[in-house]
Amino acid sequence: MNTNILILILGMAIVTYIPRAMPAVLIDKMKFTPKAEKFLRLIPYTAMAALIFPGVFSVDSARLEIGIVGGTVAGVLAWKKLPVMVCVLAAIAADFILYLVI
Amino acid sequence: MSNKNPKAQYFTGVRAGIPVILGFVPVGIAYAIMARQAGFSAFETVFMSIAVFAGASQMMAVGMYVQGASIIAMILATFILNLRHLIMSTCVVNRMKNEPTKRKLLATFGVTDESFAIFTTEKKENCSGLYFLGLITVTYSSWIAGSAIGAIASDFLPAIVTASLGIALYAMFIGILIPNLTHNLKLGLLVVLTAVCNSILTQLMASSWALILSTLVCAAIGVFFVDLDGQEVADDEH
Repeated sequence: MNTNILILILGMAIVTYIPRAMPAVLIDKMKFTPKAEKFLRLIPYTAMAALIFPGVFSVDSARLEIGIVGGTVAGVLAWKKLPVMVCVLAAIAADFILYLVI
Repeated sequence: MSNKNPKAQYFTGVRAGIPVILGFVPVGIAYAIMARQAGFSAFETVFMSIAVFAGASQMMAVGMYVQGASIIAMILATFILNLRHLIMSTCVVNRMKNEPTKRKLLATFGVTDESFAIFTTEKKENCSGLYFLGLITVTYSSWIAGSAIGAIASDFLPAIVTASLGIALYAMFIGILIPNLTHNLKLGLLVVLTAVCNSILTQLMASSWALILSTLVCAAIGVFFVDLDGQEVADDEH
């Protein structure tokens, strides 16, 4: 194994684990007010919104419609409360067909 | 905290993780193909997935490696991109507060965008350290499996297949997020606000900073107008 790559991987592993692990050690020392608690509960929703937009539009940077069609298919099925797995498979299938046809 | 027996808690988490396989295996394959093309050996490619377990930063590092970036620069960029896990991990650990620190230290290794999204929108009575460990057993192993498949099969997969898999992660987030919004208009409004905010900020700064900033700012705004009471009761799905 290349020494530089080994150092790179170990370095990345350390700087990635530290932010993940810090709350595990510190959480018992933290007390949250109701407002702070609500803030923490809202983060999943805002984080997911930010993870989806605008990234979904550049799934294929050369073809905007790939992200739009796949995302819309997943969105409609999710609105109808179908399982996440179905949304994912349908979106992949839709994009696959799109690549095949056009 | 959950009152189910330990085994049941663990396997409820495993079940919740199954959709992530469909998101992680394809992205793992995509990452591994990039890494092999960049000059990483098959072993190095898979070892990075085992040691780091953070897809976006692994892809970024591999991309920087091709451009001849220094090791320090790649590690620093990884640190910045993964700082968001600090917030996510806080939310995750907040739902397993009174459990042993050792368990929390093990569990937080598996905090990713996906495990965080699933765990923090799960019904509160299901949440426990063991549930989370079950969940990340699935996500971690599918990430490693995807990387291994990609590292070995990088030469055989048709381009159309790898291209179609690009939507998988987004479809998963959409599948988790949307059902939470159908009976909470104000939460839906907050999601739209965040989407717009992040789309603008992404034009102005590195996308990892835009993500962190819009997540925090919009959640803070939401505190003043979104009503979360009864949110978990209403989530009869997943």
